[in-house]
Amino acid sequence: MPLLDKETAEQVKQELADLAGPVRLVMFTQKFECDYCAETRQLVEEVAALSGQLTAKVYNFVTDKEKAEELGVDKIPAIAVVGAEDYGVRFYGIPSGYEFTSLLHAIRMVAAGKAELSEEGMQALAEVTEPMHMQVFVTPTCPYCPMSVVLAHQMAIASQMVRADMVEATEFPHLAMKYQVMGVPRTVINETAHIEGAAPEPMVLEKLQGALASAGE
Amino acid sequence: MEVKLLITPLEPEEADKEAGAVYDLIIIGGGPAGLTAAIYAGRAALRTLALTGPGPGGQVSVTDMVENFPGFPEGISGAELAQRMQSQAGRFGAQIVSDTATKVDFSTSPFTIQTHSVTYRARTVIIATGASPRLLGVPGEAEFLGRGVSTCATCDGFFYTGKRVVVVGGGDSAIAEGIFLTKFADEVIVVHRRDQLRATKIYQERAFANPKMRFVWDSVVEEILGEQTVTSVRVRNVKTGETSAVEADGVFVYVGMKPGTELFAGQVELDEAGYVLTGQRQHTSVPGVFAAGDVQSPDFRQVVIAAGSGAVAVMEAGQFLAEQAHSGAG
Repeated sequence: MPLLDKETAEQVKQELADLAGPVRLVMFTQKFECDYCAETRQLVEEVAALSGQLTAKVYNFVTDKEKAEELGVDKIPAIAVVGAEDYGVRFYGIPSGYEFTSLLHAIRMVAAGKAELSEEGMQALAEVTEPMHMQVFVTPTCPYCPMSVVLAHQMAIASQMVRADMVEATEFPHLAMKYQVMGVPRTVINETAHIEGAAPEPMVLEKLQGALASAGE
Repeated sequence: MEVKLLITPLEPEEADKEAGAVYDLIIIGGGPAGLTAAIYAGRAALRTLALTGPGPGGQVSVTDMVENFPGFPEGISGAELAQRMQSQAGRFGAQIVSDTATKVDFSTSPFTIQTHSVTYRARTVIIATGASPRLLGVPGEAEFLGRGVSTCATCDGFFYTGKRVVVVGGGDSAIAEGIFLTKFADEVIVVHRRDQLRATKIYQERAFANPKMRFVWDSVVEEILGEQTVTSVRVRNVKTGETSAVEADGVFVYVGMKPGTELFAGQVELDEAGYVLTGQRQHTSVPGVFAAGDVQSPDFRQVVIAAGSGAVAVMEAGQFLAEQAHSGAG
């Protein structure tokens, strides 16, 4: 049975009708010990079939280790959304529920290859000189979470130094524990800074700059 | 877990930006009141823009199960109901834009509504910005927000698997979400300032029958304590004055709502609690400006009533536009 019913598929088709360029959904999976790998793979393949600009590429996390390393993928299920270049846009865990919207957003943004941030935001990201890693913890039932995920992904697109992950917390409980996630969205930047809730762009920028300053020390 | 896929509007900039464009109706808010208004306005062929804000669906989107909305005999998840309303709203021609109004001016017609980047004009407006959870305002609450303090059980319930949580409040939200939290938590302790619940009987019966739920009556939370995360709350019995500690890993606050009316102060009349004052037919103090849903009434807070008032507001807006056209104004 398809994950996207007819109505949803039609809606997705419309949302992705005018993609600015080709996008690859690079998915990593394995057969066993991965709760949502099969569903995530199915989702990726169904979505990819809805636009001529989209292709799905599925790798085995174990046997295609080199590819995983190349894209910095360290857990599964994983989706790297790759356009003209790899902007560092990742989804760990299935982007279902409200996060399905984040996936569609990511595809559109990566296709265009440009972020829609404020002028100040673009300026600040142009000045990022150290590698920054944003991890946005979410649950699929959180309507506020896509705001944080989309914002982090935009920052990844705006700066080569920034990579941004959606992390579906219920699928990675050890990470939720490690980062003391007790509410979502929670954004962790470079292990050092964290943001509770769906913070607006200026606040996230401030945290990013704070983390950057401590990374530069 | 069943895999559900929700699509919310993607592009905030799709709205008509052409200079001089005046909408018949702008709806501010994207909960059941606003979305119902968008359905009715689209069908009435009013040139309509709905600014739904980024969090789609309003409060219903964070309601685990809606069991009292007619037409869904098995109940429907709040998220799915919101999603269905949203796709229905888009079917009839209303423009749905996930942008947020930041400033309004209702002093001259056409009214102006600004977002961060665009100024819109409209002959009529429906305010449907709803209400958001009120916090307790006690020490520790702000500090532990997201680290043990939450107002969204559907979002955060998972993190309390096998843990103990306090739910503050005694109304429908508190009890329904408390019951929902027993799916995850080992124990749910309801702290309520009275000696009985305000919640609908069916929720009360379920709560009292639930072996994971316990009640601390006549008590208020005075402080939320913890280190990295919450470890306990200090409660005070309002009858005896005694204070005691209740150990808990999380605190879910459901002590009522505050209306989303900051934007409208000085524009339309508000009541003492900040709700938009409306007459019987959803009129505000400004002719041509209407209000619907929880933003104008703390009394019922039901999806079906919000939806109903949204429909009334559109019919009245339509009437207002017809009268204006007739008198040659606007």
